[in-house]
Amino acid sequence: MGQGRPVPNVVLIALLLAGVVAWLTLPAVSVAPNRIVPGTPLLAQEALGWGVTLPALVPMLAVVVLGWRPEPARLRLALALVVALLAAMPLWLSAAAAALVEAAQARLGIGAALWLLLFLWLLALIELRARLALPRPLGWALLLPVLLAWWGCLSLWLAPLALYREYQGRSDQFLDAIGQHLALVGAAVGAALVLGVGLALAMRRYAGLRRAGFGVLNFLQTIPSIALFGLLLAPLAWLSARFDWLAALGVSGIGWAPAWLALLGYSLLPMVRNTFVALDEVDPAVIESARGMGMSRRQVFLQVRLPLALPVVLEGIRITTVQAVGLTAVAALIGAGGLGTFVFQGLGQAAMDLVLLGALPIIALALIADALLSALADCLRQGGAT
Amino acid sequence: MIELFEVTKRFGEEVAVDGISLRVEKGELCVLVGTSGCGKSTTLRMINRLIEHSDGEIHLNGQPVRTFDEVALRRRIGYVIQSTGLFPHWTVARNIGLVPRLLKWPRGEVRERVEALMALLGLPVAEFADKYPHQLSGGQAQRVGVARALAADPEILLMDEPFGALDPITREALQHELLDLQARLHKTIVFVTHDMDEALRLADRLVVMRQGRIVQQGPPLELLHEPVDDFVASMLGGEERGLKEAALTRVRDRMLPLGPRLLAHERVAAQAPLHQALSLMLWHRVDRLTVVDDDDIPIGELSLRRLVGSKS
Repeated sequence: MGQGRPVPNVVLIALLLAGVVAWLTLPAVSVAPNRIVPGTPLLAQEALGWGVTLPALVPMLAVVVLGWRPEPARLRLALALVVALLAAMPLWLSAAAAALVEAAQARLGIGAALWLLLFLWLLALIELRARLALPRPLGWALLLPVLLAWWGCLSLWLAPLALYREYQGRSDQFLDAIGQHLALVGAAVGAALVLGVGLALAMRRYAGLRRAGFGVLNFLQTIPSIALFGLLLAPLAWLSARFDWLAALGVSGIGWAPAWLALLGYSLLPMVRNTFVALDEVDPAVIESARGMGMSRRQVFLQVRLPLALPVVLEGIRITTVQAVGLTAVAALIGAGGLGTFVFQGLGQAAMDLVLLGALPIIALALIADALLSALADCLRQGGAT
Repeated sequence: MIELFEVTKRFGEEVAVDGISLRVEKGELCVLVGTSGCGKSTTLRMINRLIEHSDGEIHLNGQPVRTFDEVALRRRIGYVIQSTGLFPHWTVARNIGLVPRLLKWPRGEVRERVEALMALLGLPVAEFADKYPHQLSGGQAQRVGVARALAADPEILLMDEPFGALDPITREALQHELLDLQARLHKTIVFVTHDMDEALRLADRLVVMRQGRIVQQGPPLELLHEPVDDFVASMLGGEERGLKEAALTRVRDRMLPLGPRLLAHERVAAQAPLHQALSLMLWHRVDRLTVVDDDDIPIGELSLRRLVGSKS
């Protein structure tokens, strides 16, 4: 380390240069007189003039220069600049809103340039965090000033932002939708975990069940999600008509019941597969010596096999959860609620901002679930790395 | 004391171990040696019931192993395998303390025992106690494996090619350490290997196995001198048996006290095996060596004549 001239960090340079191009050539915002009419796209210089647009290039190009000779001190400065850029974005938007939006009904849409910048700069942040080998919690802490800036601007100046307008019209529904979404994902993944672990254990014991089980689960996985929701409609409707207690529970052809069942079906395969492989692939020599030392079957399982398998099992939970967060969006089609509701409403009303109001939190939820479970797996892996 | 009476193990149609009888006395180091697939590991694993024997009887101190609870039985028998089988998610100290904890020793006693064993095997507590197995070298890991097997002070130790995966230098060092340990602890040890040099170096009793049967057993020198058939003779090194025998004899046993002649220039340690003295003679092209003690003080001399044991 630190020997000779460090190689330029091509990733960082490419990300930031792409950002510069986007900033200068793509529309940064759009202004629409009302909710339905498509907005007029405006470049950054058209929105706030060259006087703001050109100075904004300074920090971006500074990061490019810093990336040319990526020594730790320079990378730390680059990191600070990227965080500052991310935090400055809502301020710029606030200024644009103040300058461009006059009528009460008019809305400010976020343009391609800003979406792209958000994406590129977040990637740059991830790259820098990895290069500097910052611990995960510190990485999250870096996002804090950015989130604070967005939150502050949204509550003070960004009322005309289209996305925010859509949210304001549905703030209660929005929280409910997140709740429903999380509840469905939690119930499906939780049930899949219990069933999946049980199934994996049974499969380890009975070879016949193994083939049949993986066959069925693989088949389930190949059914398109909408088709599966549709397929469950008829039998569930019939069941709830037949048995009063099921109807009393709220089971019917549409709603949470078919959604939960379908999600469970999709979640079982990754859960069972990972659990099975995790338990099966523990080094046989370790198991042999555990038995040879005089551990009972129960002790071998609880103290050796299970803890050694746990990181891979967690990996299964992570994959399943991320997958379920996405699939639950589709479940809105059969009235299961959740954030997908906004997506499909938005599509129906041709209101793209409403679609985004559903889609963005879904992406955020998936990313958060992914990060939390990865962090947990890392904790468990520590020391036990092989 | 371990006794096997006409013990047979069948896996389906295949006979892995075919009616073998063997008696390992208390405090004896018995080495099972043979080509791979000869049933030596199976024999070892039948003693602690990792594999159940099909026929015959295995006795521990006169009691059939089948009458013991298998888990309790294994806790009384130390077990070391080639790949160490250390638990990768446990520290060295926790690995070593496994059996005492299974036996529900008080915490303090477990810790004392672990520290004593680490000292015994040359693993400084401060440096190694909190390391994980993947941070150890092969030799260190195998030392931990041996310490773990000795943790509850078992009377019997079963070792299945414990040094097989180590480099030759580490392997030899650990073989010597095992002999030192055995001189102090007097365990009853059954040791499986396919390396005849290792077998000859360690064994009190050598058991040569082939296709599930014992071909010959006895003290190493006896087997060297009187192999029952060509198989045993070739296992023991064929034409090179003379060198193998020389490796089992010490210079001390052949040397003469210092005579009136001038001291020979080249020296050999009294503790060294005889084949080393022969090698020195070959290397320096001399037929006489001065024998020195541990402090490099001359205590005798060894001539080629004496070395080869010529009577005249």
